[in-house]
Amino acid sequence: MSVAEIMAGLVFGIGFGFALNKAGLTKYHKIVNVFRFTDLAVLKFMMTALIVAMAGLFGLDALGLMTLPTPPETYVVGNLLGGLIFGVGMAGVGI
Amino acid sequence: MKRIIAYLQKEEWSPYVAGILLGLVAILIAVASNVFGDPGIALGASGAFESLFGGLTQWIASDWVAKSVYFRAVRLPGITWEVVMLLGVLIGGALGAISSRTWKLRWMPEKQWTGAFGQSRITRWVLVFIGAIILEYGAGIAGGCTSGLAIWGGLQLALAAFLFMGGMFASGILTALIVYRRKY
Repeated sequence: MSVAEIMAGLVFGIGFGFALNKAGLTKYHKIVNVFRFTDLAVLKFMMTALIVAMAGLFGLDALGLMTLPTPPETYVVGNLLGGLIFGVGMAGVGI
Repeated sequence: MKRIIAYLQKEEWSPYVAGILLGLVAILIAVASNVFGDPGIALGASGAFESLFGGLTQWIASDWVAKSVYFRAVRLPGITWEVVMLLGVLIGGALGAISSRTWKLRWMPEKQWTGAFGQSRITRWVLVFIGAIILEYGAGIAGGCTSGLAIWGGLQLALAAFLFMGGMFASGILTALIVYRRKY
C-alpha cells in the first residue's frame, strides 16, 4: 500500500463514519427500530446512498472514464444463510 | 456558509443528506480502486475485522492461517486497505459526535435499551459481545455486511446483495419481534 492509498483510506473512512454518525446509525434505537418499522432511517440512508452511487458509477462507466469494480460473489445459500444469521445479531443488539 | 456550518453542527441530519454523503464516498472509493488499480479498495467494514484477526493469528499459528482456504482466497490476513478505512470510520464517527458536541463516554445506549433488557451493564456487555459474534459470523458466511455486501454489492446490482438483505430483514424482523414481543 502506498502512502496515497493509506491517505485515501483514512479520508474515505472519515467520510463514511461522519455520515453514519449524522444519520444516527451509531445508536441502538435507530438500528433496532428499522426492524420494528417505527423509524426507517437505516433504509432511507442506505437507499439514498445506493441511488447516488449507482448514478455516479454507471455514469462514469458509460462515459468510459472508469471500469466498474468487481461485484461481490453470488452463492445463493451462503448469501441468504449469512444474511439470516447476520440479522439476528444486528436486530438483537443494534449494531 | 453560516448555514452550512450550522448544519454540520447538528446532531442528526436528514438520512437522505447523510445518504448522499455516503453515496459520494462510495463513488470516490470506486474511482480510487481504478486509479490505484487495486481491487482490494472497496467499501466494507466486516472484512477488516477478519483481516485483523487473521493478521494477529499469524503470530501464534502461522501454519493454520497459511493453510486456511478462507484467509487465502476470501480475506487476506493483516493490515488491508479496509483496515485503514475502518480506522478512518472510527475517527469520522468521533468527529461527527464532536462536531455536534454530543461526544461522551457512555455505559448504555441513551434510548430503549434499558426498556428492553434492563439496567444491568453486565447484561449489556454480554449480549453485545454475543450479538457481535453472531453478526460477524453471518457476515463471514455471506461474504460481507451491510456495507461491503448490501451497499457496495447493491450499487453494482449484485444478486448477492439482495439475497443478503432479504435474509437480514427476515431474521431481523423476527428477532425484534421476540425482543419487543409486548411492545412491537
